[in-house]
Amino acid sequence: MMSESGWTAHVPMLYSEPVQEWDEDVLVLGIETSCDETSAAIVRGGRNILSNVIASQVSLHGEYGGIVPEIAARAHVEALTPVVGQALRAADCTFWDLDAVAVTLGPGLIGSLLVGVAEAKSIAAVLDVPFVGVNHLEGHLYSNLLTGHDEAIWPAVALVISGGHTMLVHARGDGNYEVLGGTLDDAAGEAFDKVARFLGLDYPGGPEIDRLSLLGDPQAVAFPRSMVDEPGFDVSYSGLKTAVINYVRRAESRGEPLSVPDIAASFQQAVVDVQVAKTMAAARHAGVERVFLCGGVAANSGLRSGLQAACRSAGMRFLVPPVELCTDNAAMIAACGTAMLRRGLYSSLEAAPDPSLPLV
Amino acid sequence: MLVLGIESSTPQASVAIGSEQGMVASALVSRGASYSEFLLPAVRFCLDQSGLNYRNIGGVAVSLGPGLFTGMRVGVATAKALAQVLSVPIVGLASLDIVAHEVRHSPKVICVVIDARRGEVFYAFYRASPGGIQRMTDYLVDKPERLAIRMGASPEDALVVGNGALVYREVFEELGSSIEFGSMSHAFPDARPLVELAVPRMFREEYDSLYQLKPLYLRHSAKRIQWERMRGSRSA
Ligand SMILES: [Zn+2]
Repeated sequence: MMSESGWTAHVPMLYSEPVQEWDEDVLVLGIETSCDETSAAIVRGGRNILSNVIASQVSLHGEYGGIVPEIAARAHVEALTPVVGQALRAADCTFWDLDAVAVTLGPGLIGSLLVGVAEAKSIAAVLDVPFVGVNHLEGHLYSNLLTGHDEAIWPAVALVISGGHTMLVHARGDGNYEVLGGTLDDAAGEAFDKVARFLGLDYPGGPEIDRLSLLGDPQAVAFPRSMVDEPGFDVSYSGLKTAVINYVRRAESRGEPLSVPDIAASFQQAVVDVQVAKTMAAARHAGVERVFLCGGVAANSGLRSGLQAACRSAGMRFLVPPVELCTDNAAMIAACGTAMLRRGLYSSLEAAPDPSLPLV
Repeated sequence: MLVLGIESSTPQASVAIGSEQGMVASALVSRGASYSEFLLPAVRFCLDQSGLNYRNIGGVAVSLGPGLFTGMRVGVATAKALAQVLSVPIVGLASLDIVAHEVRHSPKVICVVIDARRGEVFYAFYRASPGGIQRMTDYLVDKPERLAIRMGASPEDALVVGNGALVYREVFEELGSSIEFGSMSHAFPDARPLVELAVPRMFREEYDSLYQLKPLYLRHSAKRIQWERMRGSRSA
């Protein structure tokens, strides 16, 4: 493994030999530390959440107005052991009851990913159970399995939308995905945060804009809906962000009164209109009957209701998990890991995290 | 009691298993290996080669740094997880103390210097004392030039040891014959002296708290420093 240039890179090394029967009772520990939430969860049979502990770092990053990678990595080192302990206690089980350990291998912040991967590998090594590295984005798709229903979830078009990602995925089945489109610049959540910061709202800005939107008029300002009439399923948010900034500056220079709720509502409506249009077009293109919304921005009330209404009028099934499963959590990683194990996929203890791990 | 030691706070990473009766096995790599890929396979190697398994481990020792942030974090996270699953005690030690332990027989003042990158070094001063070695300063971070000035002001002969002493050799050479350089074999903290230091602490039950143990960063994250400066200048 040693070469002239040092150690060779080990991107998720996957094996394909099922080691045991992955029955309905299989117990998997999931660990997620890709960004600013430290989370550990115990999931039974890939669907049944026994515990899902999430320690948020929002208060640590708030004063900086955004996530500071070094601070996030430090916080994960301190939080992870207690969070894992708490997940086991809440599920009323011990390490030795576990059948496998699943962890986010990427994409995400490298310093944060490394902490979770080190923890997960160590646990799997001692227990001598499979260790499975999971793609965070694929994990989000599996949050759909954790909502208590037992209906099929594939094939579907999924909108994965968060502070780090904005992506439309045609999911045909387990591990069978096609990325139909994504953002050409800012992720939707990033656009929410940047606009919120510009408007002087508290961090994290997304929920603040959503809250203010309910008080404002979404038709007050006609912000652009970039790319909505173009073919394809890509979106772009930098133009919208600039439009908000220009609108505020122009109004200020003219001494006109500004309504922050109106601006927030109009901005949010522009995002919702673009995402709903692109998602429904992607669903028609893929010929699916299910539309699935996941990721941190799936907590946005405007997006949830907008997509739900569009699906109802198109006669499509709309699936969205409760908010605590939309945001980053380890239960979805455990669920995805269980599905991978059932297909005989697990990782080597030499697997290293990959900050830009692609979905396909 | 068998103690598993994990040291990955510098570009050289190592693991070792040993007890009060000596070392049982160790593995080391020093070419900027990815710690995440090296540590657990290395532990597996040590266990397998000595016919042991994880259940034989009675305690975990880990180097807390100071050193490279990523290495420290992977080492501490790995050690904490192992101690947690095995339900065994954990002990954390400073990288600088581990290097000092290796040269504890020197009659001179010992200055352990570890490269902190960005033109700085982590360091601490030690002196031999009955039954071991005594640290005389806090763990500190500074420019090597300023450390050299501090050392030049002292009338005592000193041994400078650690990779920082080698990286900034010319800076310390300017101090002349009062300075002796440690050997390359002591340039990096190693898991074997880590285990040697940890075993007596395990016997005295001077354990660290699993939930509270964290790396010794000595530096705020760059962003925080930048932000504090910004705030300082704004309020000024
Ligand atoms: Zn996410």
